Amino acid sequence: MISKPLLRSLIIWAIFIIGMLLLPKIFALLGFSKGNLRTLIQACYLAIFAMSWDFISGRTGYISFGHPFLVGIGAYTTAILSYRFDVPVMYSIPIAVIVTMIGGTLFFLPALRIKGSYFALVTLAFMELMYQLVQVIRPDLTGGTRGISGIETLTRGAVNGYYLAVSLMLVIAFVLWAILKTRIGTALSAIAMNEESVKGSGLSTTKLKLFAFMVSACVAGIGGAFLAHYNGSIAPRALFDINFLFTIIVAALIGGSSTIIGPMIGAFFLTLLLEKLRPWLPGAERYFVYGGIALLLYMYQPKGLYAIFWQVVDRFRTRRGGQS
Amino acid sequence: MFQILIQGLLLSGLYALIAVGFTLIFSVGRVLNLAYGVSLMVGGYTFFYTAQVLEMPKLVGVLLAIVVGAVFGLLKYRLLVKPLKGDHVAIEISTLILAVVIQAGIILVFGDATKILHSIIDGVWQFGTVSITANNVAAALGSWVLILGLYAFIKKTHIGRAMQAVSMDQKGAAISGVEPDKVNAATWVISGALGAAAGVFFASYTQLSPSMWVAPLIIAVAIVIVGGIGSIIGTLIVAHIIGFMEIITTTLFAAELRGVFTMILIIAVLVIRPRGLFGREEL
Repeated sequence: MISKPLLRSLIIWAIFIIGMLLLPKIFALLGFSKGNLRTLIQACYLAIFAMSWDFISGRTGYISFGHPFLVGIGAYTTAILSYRFDVPVMYSIPIAVIVTMIGGTLFFLPALRIKGSYFALVTLAFMELMYQLVQVIRPDLTGGTRGISGIETLTRGAVNGYYLAVSLMLVIAFVLWAILKTRIGTALSAIAMNEESVKGSGLSTTKLKLFAFMVSACVAGIGGAFLAHYNGSIAPRALFDINFLFTIIVAALIGGSSTIIGPMIGAFFLTLLLEKLRPWLPGAERYFVYGGIALLLYMYQPKGLYAIFWQVVDRFRTRRGGQS
Repeated sequence: MFQILIQGLLLSGLYALIAVGFTLIFSVGRVLNLAYGVSLMVGGYTFFYTAQVLEMPKLVGVLLAIVVGAVFGLLKYRLLVKPLKGDHVAIEISTLILAVVIQAGIILVFGDATKILHSIIDGVWQFGTVSITANNVAAALGSWVLILGLYAFIKKTHIGRAMQAVSMDQKGAAISGVEPDKVNAATWVISGALGAAAGVFFASYTQLSPSMWVAPLIIAVAIVIVGGIGSIIGTLIVAHIIGFMEIITTTLFAAELRGVFTMILIIAVLVIRPRGLFGREEL
């Protein structure tokens, strides 16, 4: 038997999935150009990274400042395999995901002993280390400072690219949601509140954290690998970059941390906002406005747009309830 | 060899100044100020604007940079840190966002291109086979003067001792009649001023660019993590370890590898001895 709340969430999921899949058709009807669809593709990938970040940081409270490290490993592995060694994409992407998960284990080691601010810093150090190493070690493989371009692309045209990106995003979102509905998800959220008491309840926090890191790394690897094959190019400054980290974190936080829908809302909101600002603010000004809005929203409501939405709904409901 | 020694000493002095401003906030307020690198950038650009665009005397530029840095520090405390009420994660994230916003703001005002700062003091000195620019010597000396001044300030003045008290035990300090809020505000002002001064020196070492805040932030973080919180001596020693290792890798191996050692050191220390080599406690 399926319980009532579960049935309701499944119906919401179905509506959401159908809506996302129909978006290109709606765009075509409204007469938007293909460029808008490309924006949405970027938003889908950003949503994947934001969900991956949120799975560690939003749930367990271990703030990762090194997520570009994981995304970058995924992107670089598949790019090097397919471009330098002619490995077919159907093998190179799974290998890239596995390598990223191994990288995620590296990430995990410091989390055994340190937490809070120190953990955030060590992950930042991982990212900077990778940025510097990638340019120096074997530039014949990594392409050095300039990176690699001309990587095999998986899809042709914006519509196909969109379907690939949006299906990836939806599948990942659904799987993460399903994981969090189990008892493991509850235990993960409990770690953020009080790690000691989770340990006291007889659960192995080490195993739980390892699991969260593996899932997060896996998602980041998938996103990074597919993004490399969508863009067709990678560069160290585009991947191992503090601005990229900023975009991921801001997307997750603005949408609503520790929810599944939140990072997706955030990614779409921010990507579309940047795109809408383009006509008036063509250059770096956009990031000024973008960051400013993100900062104000974050200071106003750290739980993001998702929480603001429910606040408004609640206020509306209580007002109506009062009148009747 | 002599070359490495001289250059190492000069660079380490600068790094020590960069780290001291950062460790001050970390020790007293227990928060990571990820916008600290931006203080350096603000200082560097203020100096650039007054001394090279308005063509005022260089000393005025340095002083103005310090004032702007102090005001910037106070604003950060009042507008970001205080409303967030000591929520560490929120402060880290909001200072990171602030850093990116100000980077964009700098691009807006000064453009994306890197700028070369004129040296604060002109001239080249010859020591046997080694030649060093007077500018770098001035930067290192200036750094040491500021560090010693800060040390005396913390040890001798009332507010300095209050800062020490808050860093050890905030509640205890409050009971003894110290206002943590005022002490924290003072710490942010001093840190901002030191950062801005370090920024002028740092920019004259390298160059001005809107992304210049990342490197000094990483250096400061590394020195503070490896040195441990609440230890000025530890900060100075580790600043020299990192400064010398950078010079050694640059001269003997490749300039691109100079950050690698620093990163490995951070990761190793955090995994093996999280409270740092000289720190008094774990965070």
